[in-house]
Amino acid sequence: MKRRNFLKAILATSFTIASTASVLTPLSALAKVGAKNRDDWLTTGSHFGAFRMKRKNGVIDQVKPFELDKYPTDMINGIKGLVYNPSRIRYPMVRLDFLLKGHKSDTRQRGDFRFVRVTWDQALTLFKQSLDEIQTNYGPSGLHAGQTGWRATGQLHSCTSHMQRAVGMHGNFVKKIGDYSTGAGQTILPYVLGSTEVYAQGTSWPLILDNANTIILWANDPYKNLQVGWNAETHESFEYLAQLKEKIKQGKIRVISIDPVATKTQNYLGCEKIYVNPQTDVALMLAIAYELYSNNLHDKEFIKAYSLGFDRFVPYLTGAEDGIAKDVLWAEKITGVPSDVIKALAKTMVSGRTQLLMGWCIQRQQHGEQPYWMAAVLATMIGQIGLPGGGISYGHHYSSIGVPSSGAAAPGAFPRNLDEGQTPLFNNEDFKGASSTIPVARWVDAILEPGKVIDANGAKVTYPDIKMMVFSGNNPWSHHQDRNRMKQAFHKLECVVSIDINWTATCRFSDIVLPACTTMERNDIDIYGSYANRGVLAMQKMVEPLYDSLSDYEIFTRFAKILGKEKEYTRGMSEFDWLKKLYNDCKADNDGKFVMPEFEQFWQDGYVHFGDGEPWTRHADFREDPEINPLGTPSGMIEIHSRKIERYQYDDCKGHPIWMEKKERSHGGPGSDKHPIWMQSCHPNKRLHSQMCESQEYRQTYAIQNREPVYLNPEDAKHRGIKNGDVVRVFNDRGQLLAGAVVSNNFPKGVIRIEEGAWYGPVGNDGSVNGGTEIGALCSYGDPNTLTLDIGSSKLAQACSAYTCLVDYEKFTGKLPAVSSFNGPLEIGV
Amino acid sequence: MSAVSSANMNNTVTKSTEMKNKEVSKITKKDCAELVAENQARALVYNLLSTLFAKEVTEDFVTQLTSTQGQQLLHVLAFEPTLAPSIKVLSAKLAELNSKEALLTLAADFCGLFLVAGKSSVSPYAGQYITNVDNTGSSTKAPSNTQANDNNKSEQKQTFGELHQLMMAFLQHSEMQIHRDFPEPADHIAVMLAYLAHLSTSASTEVQLSFINNYLMTWLSDFTEQVKCYDPGGFYRAVAELTFEWIKLEVSD
Repeated sequence: MKRRNFLKAILATSFTIASTASVLTPLSALAKVGAKNRDDWLTTGSHFGAFRMKRKNGVIDQVKPFELDKYPTDMINGIKGLVYNPSRIRYPMVRLDFLLKGHKSDTRQRGDFRFVRVTWDQALTLFKQSLDEIQTNYGPSGLHAGQTGWRATGQLHSCTSHMQRAVGMHGNFVKKIGDYSTGAGQTILPYVLGSTEVYAQGTSWPLILDNANTIILWANDPYKNLQVGWNAETHESFEYLAQLKEKIKQGKIRVISIDPVATKTQNYLGCEKIYVNPQTDVALMLAIAYELYSNNLHDKEFIKAYSLGFDRFVPYLTGAEDGIAKDVLWAEKITGVPSDVIKALAKTMVSGRTQLLMGWCIQRQQHGEQPYWMAAVLATMIGQIGLPGGGISYGHHYSSIGVPSSGAAAPGAFPRNLDEGQTPLFNNEDFKGASSTIPVARWVDAILEPGKVIDANGAKVTYPDIKMMVFSGNNPWSHHQDRNRMKQAFHKLECVVSIDINWTATCRFSDIVLPACTTMERNDIDIYGSYANRGVLAMQKMVEPLYDSLSDYEIFTRFAKILGKEKEYTRGMSEFDWLKKLYNDCKADNDGKFVMPEFEQFWQDGYVHFGDGEPWTRHADFREDPEINPLGTPSGMIEIHSRKIERYQYDDCKGHPIWMEKKERSHGGPGSDKHPIWMQSCHPNKRLHSQMCESQEYRQTYAIQNREPVYLNPEDAKHRGIKNGDVVRVFNDRGQLLAGAVVSNNFPKGVIRIEEGAWYGPVGNDGSVNGGTEIGALCSYGDPNTLTLDIGSSKLAQACSAYTCLVDYEKFTGKLPAVSSFNGPLEIGV
Repeated sequence: MSAVSSANMNNTVTKSTEMKNKEVSKITKKDCAELVAENQARALVYNLLSTLFAKEVTEDFVTQLTSTQGQQLLHVLAFEPTLAPSIKVLSAKLAELNSKEALLTLAADFCGLFLVAGKSSVSPYAGQYITNVDNTGSSTKAPSNTQANDNNKSEQKQTFGELHQLMMAFLQHSEMQIHRDFPEPADHIAVMLAYLAHLSTSASTEVQLSFINNYLMTWLSDFTEQVKCYDPGGFYRAVAELTFEWIKLEVSD
């Protein structure tokens, strides 16, 4: 048939498609005039830094650091990739089998099966119906909506607030206590120093730099970790680190880093370093204490005036109690630190002013309470707590702690809880004898063993029978330990809802997946300078929410509408009304102290700067007068021995700090004959936990053969025939992963590093299926929590113990599977 | 393709309206009427294909395609030997879409293929396949993402990139915009096909050919291969093949 006749025949069928069905429409009158193409630099902020952005034809084009950020991180280069990411959740979606069968769906398909697109209305209605079903059948103990995490910055759209307020308007639910970063530390330190210490402002850097003779960085890598902050980070700390580097060079301050690995900070500062075997820090601290005590170098007056229970601790230290003197020879065997080095270190600590700066790694392990407690004992024996440049800090690597606080009030946030007088739809507080709050890292245990009673921080916790979980801006399939247990646990859940920006592994294991937009797609307000609160930052919307995503405010306002509680939820205020309110409340709080312009002026300027703060010394008031300014401990003193903890009668957290062997430990410890390598899964250098792993072009600046890097000791690697750039299979009895080899002298024998937050992408053993359901499945990208141990730190904190983990590794020679971490849901062979 | 002009191939879309008017004035009234009809037919097919890639198949759309007119259309399309195999599959698949569950399964196929990024998905965005858009409007094939089983397939590029910007410019010149119910980048295949439907009745053959050659033929074969590889149900395999074969007819005539 001739082409012309063919075309004529087509038209002759009279088949038509309505023009309304087309994806194109004539240009609207408004668009013809041309939307105002703003070419000015708008302001916004993130955990990675505050920055300004320019758009081109409605697309983010350029990103540059905020002018007050003098030490921006290069993670800013990953920002565009967060927005324009192929793994964005584009539409609300529901797992097909869940859509068909609801709470009776085949949950073994999770992580490995098909979704369909639904409208927002359908998705939110389904969400509500699932909550109805749970509250009706099980009550509030069936719902866990308290697993929350790092979110994105912004006080108005903070996803945790929105999800918990909205779900809270429907009914009550199980919540968490603690977090994965500092679980052991924040539980033990209130007993010892009277506050969590980990989330408290510390002695100002200028005072440390002026007064300290020695700074001990214990398992602490501030130069890496200060790149990100809880609020918009402006990196003032880096100026002080630069000054510290200069002082080291001039011989004015000694910095000694105690760490199994050569950290980024060590390499930047060019400081002294002491290698210690992984997980043996308590033994090293005890030997230092022994050295001080046996040489009568401890500050007896300070101990007497400011602490309690030293006399109960000494018999353990000397061995009078258990026959083992915790001396340098004893410690040398465990820690690998030569006895003369320990002796010299002890002497250094009491010569002049010594500032202990502790990192968080050593409390993210089994018995993680002990090193933090023992470090406080050590600081007490040195006797400089409360002096500038002396004492102990547990936070100088975090969120601008140590940068003098401006003293200004920060803007508040959208409320997380119900307003006074508001009641949930299901106003039921009967948790059926189960606990309504559980330790953060124990939720998988609870799902697997409902009704089990455990010890936690002096109380009994009864695990609730969790049937449904709601996650918002939270990716436990990155931060929780042991993927195999998680897979088993998720089979038992009737419904999982996840609200996020990208297809995280958590989304793939969910039934209802809702797309939230990024911070660049909404208006918000934040402080900048994190703990130092240097000013208020306008977070200006750069582009409209991509695809069918919505802001958290919009998502849960619509959800509240379905509950018939829209007005209650928003208090009748729009997004912009809320922005103004948060700003104006802050302005009122600062009235007479800090000048803040009218909201409109602030929004135009992009920020209000509060100026420099006054230097301050932690615990100086306590040192000045412990009667008037007691610590928050039971006695008001530093508790070297805690009667309260002793009364709990825990076998893994006794009345004073002690050395305990670990379930797994390298360098001759338990399990090292089978899996000889300790895996360190520290906070990433180029991410915030799992955030920004999805930013592809930026990920390529560090990925090896598209895999997460694994940092290897040269000798160990050579022994296994591995060279730089090879793909390595890391394994133990819990799991296996692929990662890209980076052979580096920064890592000692028997130690590897894989940074946490590497996205989980399981592939099945036969390579043909996704592996989402397979026990022991190979992670194609390199998520270290494929290998970590899921046990509580102790009966006290029940915290995450990710750092207690032994592995082995080999060169990977099989057929290399594609990385599946940044995918949407995959289909099994149909 | 119905030849109208022999003017040089480098004309940009900007000049299209002007061009068309000039060329059309040279031909006879009868020719003109026929030409309009032929172009309407082409626009219809482009719109049909665009609709199939834009959203999940609805019950109404099945009704329409299985109506007398719909069946006739498929029947006519199958006159072309290269279209016949995919039309045959499509007709058979349409006949099976007689329940809500069947439609849902097809919607899951659509979702898994086009609405998520992943190992068994196929990007509907041209920008994932072609790159290096230069000022003359030509584009080259990206080095990776071309093999159905490419190990690097998960390493896709950022969305809303150069191709999106280029398509936005084309649409703006044609005084068109993407419907607000279709919140996708402008380099989505459904947008490109709808744009061709628009060009069919408004632009010169050269402009149409130039667009097809530069922005569709450069990646459509890779796209089709991937759909063939990953579509679990066969419906979208047929749609992709039909599209590719249709476009090939367009440039071969």
